[in-house]
Amino acid sequence: MSIQTENMKEIFGKIDDLKAVFKVGERILPILTSLIDFMGEIIPLLENINTSISDSTNQMPKVSNQINNVTSATELATTEILDLVDEISNELNDIEQAITKILELNQTRDDKFNEIIKHVEKNDKVIELLNEYKTISTYDDTFNIVREVLAKISNDAFKITMSLQVQDITSQQLSAVNHLIESVNTRLTGLVKEIDSSDLKKEFGSMKWEDSESTHFDGNASYIDREHKQQEVDQIISDQKQVASQEEIDKLFS
Amino acid sequence: MELKFLVVDDSVTMRRIVNNSLKTLGYTNVVEASDGKDALSKLAADSSINFVITDWNMPVMSGLELSQAIRGDAKLGNMPILMVTTRGVKEDIVQALQAKVNNYVVKPFTPQVLKEKLDQVLANIS
Repeated sequence: MSIQTENMKEIFGKIDDLKAVFKVGERILPILTSLIDFMGEIIPLLENINTSISDSTNQMPKVSNQINNVTSATELATTEILDLVDEISNELNDIEQAITKILELNQTRDDKFNEIIKHVEKNDKVIELLNEYKTISTYDDTFNIVREVLAKISNDAFKITMSLQVQDITSQQLSAVNHLIESVNTRLTGLVKEIDSSDLKKEFGSMKWEDSESTHFDGNASYIDREHKQQEVDQIISDQKQVASQEEIDKLFS
Repeated sequence: MELKFLVVDDSVTMRRIVNNSLKTLGYTNVVEASDGKDALSKLAADSSINFVITDWNMPVMSGLELSQAIRGDAKLGNMPILMVTTRGVKEDIVQALQAKVNNYVVKPFTPQVLKEKLDQVLANIS
């Protein structure tokens, strides 16, 4: 076989390969077109998502600050309520003291009255009138009723004070929410940073967080079921005390 | 022995509530601190304080750290400590016991519970 024939065979072989490539290309082309169309649609969508996340992360510090404001406002309001309750309690105490004083004076008056009676022993009419006067001018029973009412009001006022523990508990719950928002913000910021780092650096740098360094709250703080909770605590303490420490065990064996 | 309490809590509300509760129980000698570090300063400045009631979750220095600091101090080591906190899970209570707090009250508490725990602590130390 001549060299020319050999070359021709090789050329035909290459043409066949090329045909095969074109055939594959024909099949792939619609897929590539779809892919390009898809990319064309998804890129603006990704940009939207990026902008959305950026906006959200930008809003988070504001939300966090608002939560802190709520905490401050409720603490202020609680303090005002406590002031008023204290004032009411003090006034009730003043009234209680005044009644005690009146009852003491009544006792003194009764003592004097009995002395007077002794001096008018022979005049039955005067004694009768004086006893009648004593009966109508005594308010001890009424004062005792008032005292009971005052004690109840005082007790209720103290219950209000105790109920205000809810402020501390809710402020801890809000701190937990704040911490959660901060964590989500950090994650989202990291995500956006990968998409568009330069813009995000600016946004991240401009964010101002309040109280973001430490976590001094209990996320599980709860106002309900307090009796049951204390019982559980007492049980745990009791169980722990029953278990001997390693030191105690070591002492036994030394 | 006259009791002088140091009430440690970062919440103004809680400090007042504990203070008011102590008043109703007849204890009027009370000093306040807003965190563990503040409490240590108050303890250093006032040697007549002989009972600490502390919250756990506080900025700067927690109640647990305060308890550990007190127990590690030669002068204050035997100070009675009552922990009053919202933390009620077993791990926390065990941690508090390891820090050698004398007793533990969960918030929200009632004056009866506070009295009961105070009495228990006082009975154990006397």
